[in-house]
Amino acid sequence: MNLFQRNVEILRRQDPALAAQVLESSGGTLSIQSAKSGVPTAMVKKRFLHSAYDPIREAERWAEHQVKDCQSGETLVVLGVGLFYHVEALRAKLPQEYSILVVVPDVSELVDGLSVRSLDGWGDRVRWVCGTPEKMALQVVQQTQRVRLLTYEPGLSLHQDSFDTFRSQLREQLAKRISGTLHIMVVGPIYGGSLPITGYVVRALESLGHRVSWVDHSLHYPGYRNLETIRDDRLRLTVQQRFSDTLGVISLAHVAEDLPDFVLAMSQAPLSMAVLEQMRRKKVITAMWFMENFRHLTYWQQMIGGYDFWFVMQQAACLEAFKNAGASQVSYLPLAADPTIHQSVGLTDQERQELGADVSFLGAGYRNRREILPALLGQEWIFKLWGNEWEHAGVLETVLQRNGARIDTPTSVKIFNATTVNVNLHSYTNQGFDPDGDSVNPRTFELASCGAFQVIDHRTLLPELFDESMMGVVKSPEELVPAVRKYLHEPEQRREMAEQSQKQVVLSHTYAHRMQTLLSTMGLACPDRIGAILQGERQAESLLARSRECPELAPLLKSFPKTDRVELVDVARTIRQKGPEAKLGREELLILMMDEYRQEKRDFL
Amino acid sequence: MSRSLLIQLARLGDSIQSLPVITSLHTEFPEQQLDLLCAAPVVPLGRLFPGIHGVYPWEGEKWHSFSTMPNRDGEQQLEAAGRYLTDLAFPDYSVAYNLNNHPRSILAAHLLSERVVGAGEQGPLNPSLPPWVSYLRRVAGDRGANRIHLADAFCGLSGVKPPGVLPTIQACDSGLPSDFAQIVNDSSLVRIGIVLGAGDVDRRVPLATWRRLIEACVDHLPHCLCVLIGGAGEREAALALEDQFSPQYLSRILNCVGRTTLPQLAHVFNRCQWVIGSDTGPLHLGVACGARAIGWYFSRARVHETGPYGVGHYVWQQQKSVILKNREAQGLGQEQKLPCSWPVMETIQLMQDERVGECSSEWNLWTSHRDEWGMFYTNGDKSDDMVLHRKETWERLSVLGSHQEALLMPREMIAG
Repeated sequence: MNLFQRNVEILRRQDPALAAQVLESSGGTLSIQSAKSGVPTAMVKKRFLHSAYDPIREAERWAEHQVKDCQSGETLVVLGVGLFYHVEALRAKLPQEYSILVVVPDVSELVDGLSVRSLDGWGDRVRWVCGTPEKMALQVVQQTQRVRLLTYEPGLSLHQDSFDTFRSQLREQLAKRISGTLHIMVVGPIYGGSLPITGYVVRALESLGHRVSWVDHSLHYPGYRNLETIRDDRLRLTVQQRFSDTLGVISLAHVAEDLPDFVLAMSQAPLSMAVLEQMRRKKVITAMWFMENFRHLTYWQQMIGGYDFWFVMQQAACLEAFKNAGASQVSYLPLAADPTIHQSVGLTDQERQELGADVSFLGAGYRNRREILPALLGQEWIFKLWGNEWEHAGVLETVLQRNGARIDTPTSVKIFNATTVNVNLHSYTNQGFDPDGDSVNPRTFELASCGAFQVIDHRTLLPELFDESMMGVVKSPEELVPAVRKYLHEPEQRREMAEQSQKQVVLSHTYAHRMQTLLSTMGLACPDRIGAILQGERQAESLLARSRECPELAPLLKSFPKTDRVELVDVARTIRQKGPEAKLGREELLILMMDEYRQEKRDFL
Repeated sequence: MSRSLLIQLARLGDSIQSLPVITSLHTEFPEQQLDLLCAAPVVPLGRLFPGIHGVYPWEGEKWHSFSTMPNRDGEQQLEAAGRYLTDLAFPDYSVAYNLNNHPRSILAAHLLSERVVGAGEQGPLNPSLPPWVSYLRRVAGDRGANRIHLADAFCGLSGVKPPGVLPTIQACDSGLPSDFAQIVNDSSLVRIGIVLGAGDVDRRVPLATWRRLIEACVDHLPHCLCVLIGGAGEREAALALEDQFSPQYLSRILNCVGRTTLPQLAHVFNRCQWVIGSDTGPLHLGVACGARAIGWYFSRARVHETGPYGVGHYVWQQQKSVILKNREAQGLGQEQKLPCSWPVMETIQLMQDERVGECSSEWNLWTSHRDEWGMFYTNGDKSDDMVLHRKETWERLSVLGSHQEALLMPREMIAG
């Protein structure tokens, strides 16, 4: 029996179906070479998957780095197959109680490894998961809920798409199984476009059952605004910066007072690097949802190391730029709508009179809009322009409504509902459409959620969110007027398209969906902290089931409703309720002692 | 032999102020081994306390880390804390004397002993205060005419009377730099410990004042050596102070600031004849090591509660009326202004011939005494009825106390 046959035999004992698949595959994906140390190494497209010098030593270093974070009770899911030096090293470094699963997107690659590397002595203590990304993700979550992903980067390139899909499928599967509740502190901006979104995010998290503390800095906006009375630019900017820094310290005080499981900062949240570093020292996990165009607003570069997680609304180039700048975790998270706010509404005649039109545009007066929108004037329809920052609008002044006042959310919902064709042009500080335009603005989701029909400029990320049966898409400014004209004459098609887009929002694009994705992403990356809580491990029922090691806790835990999340502070409160004459056991005293120290905040600021 | 535990989790000053109660307990219950539970940084010094058998550290940071382990549930946190406590291997105690009315201290007492005397003796969740604790709390809020010293109140709290004989800490010079040791042990010198630092900012004497005092010492006291005392946090200030002196003075200064461990500092104090400073831990350590003290008490410091313990000490107390006037002038509430003048030459006179001539109206001189009810301070020859009231206070609090038997009942009741 040769090496390959012995390996297949080991696989067969564990997974006969996989062994059969292996026998059917001819391999040939990897080019096997000899490393300087004499053991086999592998190449794909002229790139080594393992060291050309000493793959064993390289794998040991990788495994050493990975095991630092691993916690008992977790299942370690390895992405990247190659010649499994790294898997063997990982197995050798971890006690038996840790389960290791290796994701195998292509049996052919596995066959190449099995032909030159022996599974003797360790291969039977590793499980190999094979199939489509969807099936593999399902297999993983069926076996365990505490998943820690370990990535062997060189092995990813070969099947990057499969691994990406596996990750997102795993996230979705885990999101479906969320039962625990987190305490999330949401830090919002002082003002700006991300302010209303902060409100939607807070509502979405609450609707998912999580406890949310909103540090609402918009309360300080009048004070911040008042600083504009300082005429000297440099002085004003300095004072504004210090004002913002103080708000950061205020955020820190809120964190100290009621320690959250993580802090979610929204774009423009006034958290300085100093504040973020202090949070890190205090082991507070931080995440930022950066909902700006990363090419235009570049402050993320200075803040990149401050957050543990970045969520961005752009893909490819953005993700790469953030990773290159040093982001430890960066994920794509598009914007969304809140259907409890952005919805179909009935309008009074008076409202319809004022807010309604054949064609409307609502938004700020960016250069491209100023140049494109005049084409909508002098046509056979009534065109209304809404929004602020339209000073010196030229010909557009004739259609500018409410003298260019800022339009609040309830009014915008009515305008969307009262308009036959809503024009949605993404902002751009140059001429025409942004040639790099990828991200989709919040108005797209909000219009769709209102069941309002829209004509939108093309964005590269739009098709995966809404298809062309849901909105009219124009690829150049010249297509705008013909498209508007076409849809104005197609009421049935408009209605159907708007209805489809509204359904699509409810199905996939609410802020609740986004928060589920965000939480499962973080849970996957922090299985011991966020993941464990999301999977309900801190609920009274789960704690009770695991309290065999400490039977004294059981009576205390029984006093909580089964699905309530129970932390030390809750148990301590219950103990204190026993009254002044109570005699306490050792465990109860220990809990009270820890609670005393938990409350200590003196070195937080 | 039964074992008991004294719990004092406060800082250096209060730890030193616990020496009398340790002595009294040791005298009262000689067959009982007494251990000490104290803040971890004080442990090396605690090992030098006469009458203490074993010393155990209380590590607040450890407890804080157990309580804030971000990736652990309650059971795991409990397990970690329990393991830590077990690893410390405390013996079984028949009684824990708890001197701190703080939840942590009370919980520690109940964790380590079935029976607790002092703060929290009525149970870990019982909010009612034993009479001595209640008395101390009242004194802390509104000092009134109190004349019972904190160290003696610790005795009352523990059910014993103040000690007959005062304990002295004796330390060896192990590890002291040799040049240091040579100067410190030179018997031809009169060594004056000058305590530069203070934990609280409002108890810090300005460097300019220390400079004047040191110059006056060197000018007026032949063979004196000014030993600068302080922690690592005061090292910069000490260097800045040294920079201000000419070589003539520098040769009479030994800068120990931030360069000694607590036992080494105790050894230095063992060699000092005098110690001068505000109401700080090192001042009391100096006294416990045998030096005579001249305290400069201002801000919230009050001679009657925390004056140097023992006989032969002096305290310059900033007058209350002056403090109030300063506050009003500054429009201040709780914060206080530093004194306008300092009793520099008066302090020199005290060390020269123990007599003082004219003194500024800002300061009063108090002299220490002892009797069976503990320490008290008097201001010159003035009669002070409040000193006599201490006996009544002791009797009243002891009768009120749930363990008033401490002073009146057989000692085995307390010893457990």
